[in-house]
Amino acid sequence: MIRCKTSKEIGGMGHSVKRKEDARFIQGKGHYVDDIHLPGMLHMDIVRSPYAYAKIKSINAEEALKIPGVLAVVTGKDLEKYNLHWMPTLMSDTQMVLPTDTVMYQAQEVAAVIATDRYAARDGKEAVIVEYEPMKPVIDPHKSLDPGAPVLRTDKPGKNDNHIWHWEVGDKTATEKIFAEADVVVKEQMHIPRIHVASIETCGCVADYDKVNNHLTMYMTTQAPHAIRTVIALVAGHVGLTEEKIRVVSPDIGGGFGGKVPVYPGYVIAIAVSFLVGKPVKWVEDRSENLQADSFARDYHITAEMAGTKDGKILATRFKILADHGYTDASANPSKFPTGLFSIGTGSYDYGAAFMEADAVYTNKPPGGVAYRCSFRVTEAVHAIERITDRFAFEIGKDPAQLRMENFIKKEDFPWKSPTGWTYDSGDYHAGLLKAMEVVGYEELRKEQAEKRERGELMGIGISTFTEIVGAGPSRDFDILGIKMFDSAEIRVHPTGKAIARFGTKSQGQGHETTYAQIIAEELGIPAEHIQVEEGDTDTAPYGLGTYASRSTPTAGAAAAVAARKLRDKARKIAAYLLEVSEEDLEWEPGKFFVKGAPEKAKTIQEIVFAAYTNHPLGMEAGFEATHYYDPPNLTFPSGAYICVVDIDKETGEIKVRRFVAIDDCGNIINPMIVQGQVHGGLTQGLAPAMYEQLIYDEDGNILNGTFMDYLVPTAVESPNWETGHTVTPSPHHPIGAKGVGESPTVGAPPAIANAIVDALSHLGVTHIDIPITPFKVWKILKEKGVAQ
Amino acid sequence: MKANIEKTFQVNEPIGKVWEYLSDPARIVTCVPGASLTDQIDQDNFKGEVTLKFGPVKASYSGQITFQERNADSYHMQLLGKGLDSKGKGSADMLMNGSLVEKDGGTEVTCSMEVTITGMLAQFGSRLITDVSSSVFDQFVGNFKAKLAGEEVDNTLKAGSMVGSVVKGIFGKKEG
Repeated sequence: MIRCKTSKEIGGMGHSVKRKEDARFIQGKGHYVDDIHLPGMLHMDIVRSPYAYAKIKSINAEEALKIPGVLAVVTGKDLEKYNLHWMPTLMSDTQMVLPTDTVMYQAQEVAAVIATDRYAARDGKEAVIVEYEPMKPVIDPHKSLDPGAPVLRTDKPGKNDNHIWHWEVGDKTATEKIFAEADVVVKEQMHIPRIHVASIETCGCVADYDKVNNHLTMYMTTQAPHAIRTVIALVAGHVGLTEEKIRVVSPDIGGGFGGKVPVYPGYVIAIAVSFLVGKPVKWVEDRSENLQADSFARDYHITAEMAGTKDGKILATRFKILADHGYTDASANPSKFPTGLFSIGTGSYDYGAAFMEADAVYTNKPPGGVAYRCSFRVTEAVHAIERITDRFAFEIGKDPAQLRMENFIKKEDFPWKSPTGWTYDSGDYHAGLLKAMEVVGYEELRKEQAEKRERGELMGIGISTFTEIVGAGPSRDFDILGIKMFDSAEIRVHPTGKAIARFGTKSQGQGHETTYAQIIAEELGIPAEHIQVEEGDTDTAPYGLGTYASRSTPTAGAAAAVAARKLRDKARKIAAYLLEVSEEDLEWEPGKFFVKGAPEKAKTIQEIVFAAYTNHPLGMEAGFEATHYYDPPNLTFPSGAYICVVDIDKETGEIKVRRFVAIDDCGNIINPMIVQGQVHGGLTQGLAPAMYEQLIYDEDGNILNGTFMDYLVPTAVESPNWETGHTVTPSPHHPIGAKGVGESPTVGAPPAIANAIVDALSHLGVTHIDIPITPFKVWKILKEKGVAQ
Repeated sequence: MKANIEKTFQVNEPIGKVWEYLSDPARIVTCVPGASLTDQIDQDNFKGEVTLKFGPVKASYSGQITFQERNADSYHMQLLGKGLDSKGKGSADMLMNGSLVEKDGGTEVTCSMEVTITGMLAQFGSRLITDVSSSVFDQFVGNFKAKLAGEEVDNTLKAGSMVGSVVKGIFGKKEG
């Protein structure tokens, strides 16, 4: 039960305040990039490569330029004149904006058609004739380091293989010693498939360069508008576009999930064209372009190992990763973390030794990988640890719930130092799993499973008890292109006691307009409904690194609380002045200061704010505004206990998720309804890679499911009835004790589902199945094992 | 994207005549729906064009056709076609093996075809490629038989009926 400190009227933390933004969204009144129409606006469409790897012999725009309305066809050679044909990625790799001679993946941008309307641009795109000389691509990452493999990045001087980087963490020697001496060692090869965020809104922009004032306004689908402004200034500074002349506006966004963090070539081309012609240029991808060309997520090939004792004590883990980054490393990780926060993969368990290493390679596939609703590779890590934990339980014949209970880090052992160097802030893993087991009826389900097995029926129960790591991050470790990963809030309270608050983050559907207002309401007692939240305009919002990786609440949410507390301190001074008492004599309750022992002598926050503008104490700065840039002292570590129950048809392999219980612990909860909504959406996006989604490439690098006909995004029809609940273990270092929740369900769900399916087949000797686990995969196994006819 | 198709059919013609037709570029290529020869480079190499259509996606490939093998003793031929889409939308390769044996007073023809498609057709048509290729192959067999019988052959691509039959095939299976 969540206890609220504020009244329903104030609507602070813990109240299920209805989402303010929904009033416009449910009426179709949201304002997205594609809703922007500027006078004289031109439209851009992009010619894309049909080949995964080919030389460009010629680009012939003659026919395209004959189409009425088509004004220009821009190629890499055109951009080369301004040194705008390439750009840096967020991981300090390089990426073509448009190619001058070679295409590196199917659907890569080859040329841009500029026209007076969108239809002419599309017709023009069809009419551009490109002559290619196809080459044999490198598609399989396992073969990309073969001595005979063609070296793909010949643009990098001295590069003589396809290796990008090596990374490792942990104590290798100690881990190897434990593995060599352990009673039990289990090992599985896992592929976390290449998937796509598939947000409803595709990517796009309107680049509006004003030649007279040398000023660029860039409306774009970005999760990190400030960082983008800085990147534009760094890339285009040499042509005179300096940072004060750039305004980035991120309007309403129809889902980001990490896919709207990178800078895509289309944005840069639109800016370049607008800069050259002095007119606004709109570019909006279609669905297939979005799916085929924009940054993918995941694509980790993991060898996971666990060592332990016969009676079930986990002693050590070892993970070896092969990361397929496609043509360039276009991840969106903090700079010092090439594998993101994969090192959280020691999980929720108390053991002392781990070693992890990764090698990243280039292939002829689209670049990536983004942190899809995930704090940078946490999904991959959690899948590996949760699957191998189940594998270990199976090996020694112990119930996987029991094994987890025996190995969990204990509540009293926090803060807990992990073998890979993290300090977990808080957690109560036993309580979470106990609650999930109670809700699902674990013991009865195991009995039912045993009975069904007797009758030859297939039923499985899968558990995932994950620890997340979010809220990047403390400035000592976390930066993107050198910019520290703090975030910010600015609160201005107007004379009548109503406020506007601006943030360096950017909601893409998370409900910031509501939850940030609730945090401020909690701290200041101003009703949440009277706090207007604004994000996404770099001219007005304070600088911040944006919204992804569940970082908004841990960073900007904390900034809001701290800024509000600065204002409360000021309010105390004003109240003391108005009530003619000393500050120490005052006590706060949400919405007012009153004199200790004389509650009738009080000043409401509204009265105090009014005084700040009309009757402020002598020597005090007038007005009622505060800004805070919050640099978190540590990350936050949300956790969850998920239990999934599946029934499998032994003849067809059809998998039915019968139950799914998700108990999350995201610390103190700001808005239970929004948390529940986030969990529902996240679980569905966890179901997606577990059973449906994977971007499939053939040996020539053709994407075989580049449309929503073939790339299966689960809908409400496929989703089971999500049963959600929570435990509350506040973060000790976060100002409001919150931890962040957005990505937990996406991270935690896939192994719960995979574990359930493998559990259903475990008596047949099945120990692992790579996700997505489709009915076809299951049917093939059943056929092989002689179960299906 | 690859599709492999192998079909065997019987014709009531002597093996010598069938071989003469099968190994003659002018005759064999004009039996392939949508295909035509445009130029002869030498005895084994030709230039040609082929048009393929998968629903809304149409591609015209022009390229080279090479007889890699024409063995009159073993009655086996191998033909390699490599084409690029004229608008730069992709490529298509086809490796065809044909062999003949005398059977029941006529000739049994075994043809295998490996079609490799890259680019837009592969991106959008991957689910249909085997069915469409098989349908094209059936048209080829029909054309080849007609040619042997001395009939006029219309080798224009019957795209509409082709896709129709494929769709019927897919949904027919579901309903039936």
